[in-house]
Amino acid sequence: MSFDLANLPDADVVALAQQGREPAYRELLRRYERPVFSLIFRMVRDRETAEDLSQETFIKVLNHIDRYRPEFKLSSWLFKIANNVAIDHLRKRTVETISIDGSPHAATRAEIEATSFDVESRGESALEEVESRELGSSIERAIARLRPEYRSCIMLRHVEGRSYEEIAALLDLPLGTVKTYIHRARKELRDALEHLRT
Amino acid sequence: MDRHLLPSEIDLLLDGEVGFGTSPLKTHIRKCPACRGELDEARATVRALEHLPHLAPSPLFAERVLSRVNIFVPWHVAALDTLRGLVPSSRGGRIAFGVAGGSVAAVMSLLVLWIALRFDAVVFAVGILADRVRANILDAVGTLLAGALGDSAYTLVRTSGLLGLTVLTLALVAAALLAATLLRTFAVNRRR
Repeated sequence: MSFDLANLPDADVVALAQQGREPAYRELLRRYERPVFSLIFRMVRDRETAEDLSQETFIKVLNHIDRYRPEFKLSSWLFKIANNVAIDHLRKRTVETISIDGSPHAATRAEIEATSFDVESRGESALEEVESRELGSSIERAIARLRPEYRSCIMLRHVEGRSYEEIAALLDLPLGTVKTYIHRARKELRDALEHLRT
Repeated sequence: MDRHLLPSEIDLLLDGEVGFGTSPLKTHIRKCPACRGELDEARATVRALEHLPHLAPSPLFAERVLSRVNIFVPWHVAALDTLRGLVPSSRGGRIAFGVAGGSVAAVMSLLVLWIALRFDAVVFAVGILADRVRANILDAVGTLLAGALGDSAYTLVRTSGLLGLTVLTLALVAAALLAATLLRTFAVNRRR
């Protein structure tokens, strides 16, 4: 039996996965591996961790695909789990790491600069170089400085194009809180990018 | 409007909200360079966000995930797949398979129809069969009893009818219980 999986809507692909069709599992992975990985990578800012957490997200979803209810969007379910595993990871991380962009506790630009690493001087590996290039644009750096809750809200809104209501539902937050987070995130990003415009 | 726009009002325009509430805001934006600048800055930030690319995991990501996913095939799907597997892939083979399947189905249907029309004959045949089976079982039990208890005891049980059979069954059960109790007592005493 052959299906043109690429043209089927998510609900139909999930129905095939529920029948134990491996190509349907592969199609779901193909559709969502990048969005899920991007969301988690931008949350945790470490490729290896992001891969592990993305893997955990997909394993959770695909192993419980029989529980999926078609009245909800599959992508919302995936992003909800992805966000939860990323937030859990950030909460559990006991050893504080200092990013190349400076300490997360640095409040002023001077403090950020004082705690920042010079990428060139670290003798970084090729992989690290790619990572820092991937997340190295001004906007990425500005996103990294946001609080995790702001970060997930702003990415779901503007990178994934989700409505405020969807974000509220998938992050289990009141609608007003989501609006506030996005408003504050936009303001912080605008302030962070101001130097580029002057 | 004789004031600058509030941040929440800038957000409304940024999100492309439409409606009566936004029309005075739009009018104000056209007139006020400061608020227009504010909105343009916000739009530039949003555009930068919207242009962020999706990043790719490593090429073996999907394989690693699938190696840890239990793909469960429900029994009805497995059964259907097995049936589909039996159907030949070539056109000629499928036709032959269809003809053979159709013939078997037709024969079975005729058989069922015949049985339905000759129901009394079927009941009669089943009755004869049941009688023969019962007689064989009784013969076997009788031979067993005669071997175990002797011909005279077997004749006595047989002539006394249901009462004799009940007494014999009770006696056998009592003997079995007595044997079990004696064995248990023996085993307990030996352990001490």
